[in-house]
Amino acid sequence: MKKFTKRKEFGIILIILIMSFILTIVSSAFLKADNIIDILRNNAVYGIMAFGMLPVLISGGIDLSVASSIALCAVVAGKIMTVFDTNIVIVFIISMLVGALIGLINGLIITKLKIAPMVATLGIMTVTLGVVLLYTGGTWISGLPEYFKEFGMAKLGNIPTKNGLTLGIPSQVIILILSGVVTWLMLRYTLIGRGIYAIGGSEASAVRVGYNVDKIKVFIYMYSGIMTGIAAVVHTSIVQQVDPNTFLGYELTVISTVVIGGASTMGGVGTVLGTTFGIILMGILQNGLILAKIPTYWQKIVMGLVILIAISVDVINRKREQSKLVRVDVEG
Amino acid sequence: MNYIKKIQSKHSNEFTLTIIFIGIFILMGALSPDKFLSINNIKTMAFQMPEFGIMAIGMMITILTGGINLSITNGAALSAIVTAFILSSDFSETNPIMGVVLALIACIIVASLTGIINGTVIAYIGVAPMLVTLGTKTLFEGIGLNFTKGGAISGFPDIYSEIGNGDLLGIPIPLILYIVVIVISYLLIERSAWGTEVFMVGCNETATRFSGINTKKTLMKVYLFSGIMSGIASLIISSRYNSAKTDYGSSYLMQSITAVVLGGTSISGGHGSVVGTIVAIAIMQVISTGLNILGVNRYIVDIITGGILIVILAIRFISKEMADKKMIKLRSASSVK
Repeated sequence: MKKFTKRKEFGIILIILIMSFILTIVSSAFLKADNIIDILRNNAVYGIMAFGMLPVLISGGIDLSVASSIALCAVVAGKIMTVFDTNIVIVFIISMLVGALIGLINGLIITKLKIAPMVATLGIMTVTLGVVLLYTGGTWISGLPEYFKEFGMAKLGNIPTKNGLTLGIPSQVIILILSGVVTWLMLRYTLIGRGIYAIGGSEASAVRVGYNVDKIKVFIYMYSGIMTGIAAVVHTSIVQQVDPNTFLGYELTVISTVVIGGASTMGGVGTVLGTTFGIILMGILQNGLILAKIPTYWQKIVMGLVILIAISVDVINRKREQSKLVRVDVEG
Repeated sequence: MNYIKKIQSKHSNEFTLTIIFIGIFILMGALSPDKFLSINNIKTMAFQMPEFGIMAIGMMITILTGGINLSITNGAALSAIVTAFILSSDFSETNPIMGVVLALIACIIVASLTGIINGTVIAYIGVAPMLVTLGTKTLFEGIGLNFTKGGAISGFPDIYSEIGNGDLLGIPIPLILYIVVIVISYLLIERSAWGTEVFMVGCNETATRFSGINTKKTLMKVYLFSGIMSGIASLIISSRYNSAKTDYGSSYLMQSITAVVLGGTSISGGHGSVVGTIVAIAIMQVISTGLNILGVNRYIVDIITGGILIVILAIRFISKEMADKKMIKLRSASSVK
């Protein structure tokens, strides 16, 4: 038990439990299976992008281009669906390829030209957004094919509920869970995954140990791009149209989600489990405030406060632990 | 001639940027002499540049310390909204001059408060600036939304619009404000003890602390300064639009980071200059206005801006590599002798 409370994720679990407790009292609709599935479905896009952003933050980098990149992927996917007669698998693959291409460009600029990740991805973000808006002129793409509508509504499982509807896990949530599992496996069991932590801890040491740091970095940004490509199709499958302007500011929400989940922008720290809780907390915040009939204007205030408190508590805890360590040294 | 060479060697980055600026200015002038070089257009640019420039200076000082201020535009919007509340109240309608004075004071107070909140969490709790300002960005946006309920506040006294639209002896008032801000920030950042501390913190915070400097105080002042800059910028913005809304000026966030980096400030802190930033802002303004006059699509301007950022940084990296190689060659040659 003591080990559990010492875990990094403990604080965020506590916040989630307290919030859920309050919300269950305030609103009877909160703790119901369909509401919880709704929370996950509505946050699947942020979640998938967060799983892509996690390795980037662990490596000590940052990817500001994800918002423009999801816009580009969504536009390309939307165009392909409306122009060509294809199927869902090809749409996914093309969208992922577009994302991977942007990630590749990011990675090459960062590794070959040694431009700081923040600046490089900022530049690519501006360029990509320009390309998207130039191509679409800011107009929406609609009239998506029938098979895509079916994919958007598809569910796994078919449990009938009281009000005549059926309960199942939506396709978007399945993709969210899959991307979480893949990221977890990648970070934990592959050489590249361990390399990402090594780079975040100390890049110079990672080079000496023999990791091909440049290759890993390019992979990280491509991974983020691929996740963004998946998120683009998932987003389109929920809203069933493409509006290139909706993605404005997504990058900051995604980074906030990962950071609330315990990752540090200084690198070396972060887990898939933490990010998962970050996604859940963000979802509960949005959903809960609506259920509690709090005006939406308050949503941002609460979100800002949660981010500030979560990161401050984390730093204070770490400092306290460090000072304890020093004390032990002195006594010893 | 000697003097020019001295400046060139000491401020090579500012020198290159100025040449780029002159080159682009001449190019735009040659492409569209009757429109771009008209008094009217130059005046329009002089009205547009200050709000962006002041915001970028506020961003620059945080980047100098190795931090960043992502809340700068939302902080500006929040102070503009509070200002607008006072300006559109009944009190301001009956005695406009007192109302405007009160509003100006309130604006600077709110802007300072946003800076103090950032500064406290960053300097005294020790959280990474990027995360803190990401949180306060959302927080300020939320508070602003609560005031405006998503709409815009308007109905200001007529004198208030003078700040953003008036001129003194033919010189636009925003430009005068801008020049005052530039001079003050130049003196503070590059000619004062505090300014030196700012650069030192950016280079190595631990070393600075061990050399007896209260880095917490220095950082606190940096974010306070950044907040006040966003407040001044917000005055010009709300006056030019004659209203206040949470998303006014939001596009300046990424643009100001671009301008600061373009101006030669290192994103990891420790290097940079006020002059470089100002020239970079002028370059960006000339490009966007010039291309606009030439009838180039607004989105292509975005693409070009992003492209220029990466190309200039790439050139800087390559030229540094070449200089390093030259140095190594020279050294090995002299050691052989």
